[in-house]
Amino acid sequence: MSMRPSPSSDASAPRARRSFAVPALALVALAVLTMGLAGCTSSSDATTLTVYSGRSAELIQPLLERFSAETGIDVDFKAGDSPELAQVIAQEGDASPADVFISQNPGATSFLAGEGRLATLPQATLDKVAPDLRSADGTWIGLSGRVRVLVYNKDTVRQDELPAAVTDLTDPAYAGRVALAPANGSFQDFVTALRVEIGDDETAAWLQGMADNGARTYANNNAIVEAVGRGEVDMGLVNHYYNVRALEENPDLPSVNHFFPDGDPGSLLIVSSATVLATSKHAAEAQQLVDFLLTEESQTYFATETDEYPVLPSVPIEASLPPLDSLRTDRVDFDELGGGFEKTIEMIAAAGLA
Amino acid sequence: MAATIERDLTAPVDARRPRTGRAGHRAPRSLVAAGVVIAALFAAPTLYLVVRNLGLGAELVAALTSAGTYGPLARSLGLGVAVCVTSTGVGAGLAWLTTRSDVPGRRVWRLLAPLPLVIPSFVGAAALRAGIAPGGLVASIAEPLGIDRLPEIDGFVGAWLVLTLFTYPYVYLPTAARFASLPPQLEESARLLGRGPAAVFRTVVLPQASTAIWAGTLLVFLYTISDFGAVSIMRYATLTTEIYRSRLVPTTWLPLALLLAAVALVTVVLERSAGRRRARTDAVRARRALHVPLGRWRWPAAAFTAFVLFNALLGPLTVLAVWAVRGLLAGGQRTGSLAITNGPASLVGPTVNTVVVSLIASLVAVAVVMPVAYLTTRYRTRVGGAVNAVVVAGFALPGLVVALSLVFWVLNIAGFTALYQTIPVLIVAYVVHFGAQAMRAGQVAVGAVPLRFDDAARMLGAGRIRRLATIEVPLMRPGLLAGAGLVLLSVMKELPATLLLAPPNFSTLATVIWSANESLYLAKMGLASLVLVAVSGVLTWLLVIRRAERFD
Repeated sequence: MSMRPSPSSDASAPRARRSFAVPALALVALAVLTMGLAGCTSSSDATTLTVYSGRSAELIQPLLERFSAETGIDVDFKAGDSPELAQVIAQEGDASPADVFISQNPGATSFLAGEGRLATLPQATLDKVAPDLRSADGTWIGLSGRVRVLVYNKDTVRQDELPAAVTDLTDPAYAGRVALAPANGSFQDFVTALRVEIGDDETAAWLQGMADNGARTYANNNAIVEAVGRGEVDMGLVNHYYNVRALEENPDLPSVNHFFPDGDPGSLLIVSSATVLATSKHAAEAQQLVDFLLTEESQTYFATETDEYPVLPSVPIEASLPPLDSLRTDRVDFDELGGGFEKTIEMIAAAGLA
Repeated sequence: MAATIERDLTAPVDARRPRTGRAGHRAPRSLVAAGVVIAALFAAPTLYLVVRNLGLGAELVAALTSAGTYGPLARSLGLGVAVCVTSTGVGAGLAWLTTRSDVPGRRVWRLLAPLPLVIPSFVGAAALRAGIAPGGLVASIAEPLGIDRLPEIDGFVGAWLVLTLFTYPYVYLPTAARFASLPPQLEESARLLGRGPAAVFRTVVLPQASTAIWAGTLLVFLYTISDFGAVSIMRYATLTTEIYRSRLVPTTWLPLALLLAAVALVTVVLERSAGRRRARTDAVRARRALHVPLGRWRWPAAAFTAFVLFNALLGPLTVLAVWAVRGLLAGGQRTGSLAITNGPASLVGPTVNTVVVSLIASLVAVAVVMPVAYLTTRYRTRVGGAVNAVVVAGFALPGLVVALSLVFWVLNIAGFTALYQTIPVLIVAYVVHFGAQAMRAGQVAVGAVPLRFDDAARMLGAGRIRRLATIEVPLMRPGLLAGAGLVLLSVMKELPATLLLAPPNFSTLATVIWSANESLYLAKMGLASLVLVAVSGVLTWLLVIRRAERFD
């Protein structure tokens, strides 16, 4: 740390010139990039499908690559949060480059259906899955199923303490012990289903009961599974596959999935779905991709690699998961509720769960 | 007596101090025109919100007058103010220690201190929670020591702590740049006249650094009210968590976003009018800044610095490393997708993308905001005030709003449609979102250039470009680099706009981290986060610290 002689103003001149060169170079690079990209998009337009996906790359990309290899149709992939992608598609309007929208939650799909952005799928495609795994008006079809569960810490929760019904969680026995993710799409879908099942008044009362019972709120399913795993909270309402994946990376975790028995709405099956956009300029190829995702090969991928339920009856379910017919998949029609998710979000907020 | 000394001390200085503003001059038309064009660009998100909100009609009024709006608003504001206080203290304190004192290890601290800014807040908050929550890493260490249950850190306190740890670099970077370029003469004179080190700091050093400190504080406030990651992980319901929760219901989220924009505009206007009373000071490159020996405070100061950096950087990184190692050791069974997307080699492309877009965006941001920095610092015009507010307010809007606004404008203005989802539009989004950081730093830099040099050079016949290149840019360099560094680190972690506006198949480290976290590949998320911090460390050192250190 010695004192340096003062740099004269002459010495600073070349430095100054260099600092101008950097932005200049950057601008040139930018121009080159622009031209390069403009070239790409115009030349490959004819055979490229654009997929907006609420499923992240880890959960769908391998299938899309297989599709491209088999059909020669390139896939441009854009992943994001399902509701945010739905907002973008609505904002894009008729100019939307998206051909296929893969959604993690029915709320986002219903939003786009309400905006009139979805095409109707052909009956042959729709018939591949059971009627309760697709929309009645044919605008979306299920790709894979995820089940709502109560994840619990086996060190702090006894087997005989586990509730038989999700509505039991307002019991004082569970005071301060249950975690929820009010902003999570799947939780909101579950509440919408609960409204169909027990009515708005009862659902509002249940939400209020959960809030009064000191339910702890978390940012998302991940945070709940992590909190249960380290013993911060005893149990939480999440989708089944989070804990399955957490255990794969850390088999010592004490967290266990509890599936509500006897078709209780607590273990509702929610599908991730595929839709073809009404504005798609490659409707036939988009349709081809949806059909590809419903082949036995693709469905086996969902069953074995992403720990989900396949929607094709012919593809076996992972041994650790309870069979589909013990869960409720029927009687919940999200379409029937129309913009039902808006009311759901209001009701969750009104209960003070945030 | 003291008052007399004070006057004696400062009077000659004031008399000598040249004007840095040309209040008596009218701003050149070209500069005003440039300012207006730039303001139009930066106004894109706010105008979008206005357009969409006007379309709501009565629902807008209903939403804004709803009682449910005020709780989150009050919590956002309260958190913003609290984080400002602590971030300013920590940031300015570290800046002084690392640039002006003989605290041990200051070269290492200088490299590490800006880096917490690059940790995405949702990652940092999740890692800190995993570390300190009951049953977390710290608890598992504390358990054998007889400590059963650590206090839980979440809600307001959790959000406040996390945001302080991850936003103090907004204050640190400009303030350290300022401290490093302060002329030593005033301090020497004050010392010779018998002032103690503390008094010198309070009456001489601090006033000269106040514009830089305030610049950082404003950024901290705006970042805090726009943050979603930390508040959601810490379960603190603010305006941004309400916007997120209602993101499928435009009649709810649009008014809330407009409210956020209004808060930002008001804040900027208030800050600017307060700023008029602040002292202006000159940058001088003649000699290196004075170093103050800390004496017996040397090691406590080092301990403080280490404590901050442990919590803001080393702690979260340790948790991420544990996730990465544990997952890579146990995760062998997840082979199907590992082969295609999870190998460490798959991080090379996103790393290159991250570096390229963040470098371009930071340089473009500095270049774009410089006319505004000149307009607002050298001249007092109404246009300048408005342009300033518009540019700075862009920083307080959530990335989702910035992204949707660009979708709207790019697709609705003829001739721009072909640019949709290309790198240039993504760069524009980054510049609009983070340009405020470069501009506040730029304003500090421009304000520090004494006009007497410029006047002298002009009299000697030097042209405008030559004066800029040989006098102003070299003098402004530490400040401009600090601004570019802030933008660089912010862009590297930016998520919502990148997800929505980037070309298809284009991933950055931030999107990889998000994606891995979504599907609970904690190993991959940990690994990508470590790479992000390492790369940002290298870039910050190469571009900001090494170049600014000529003063040391």
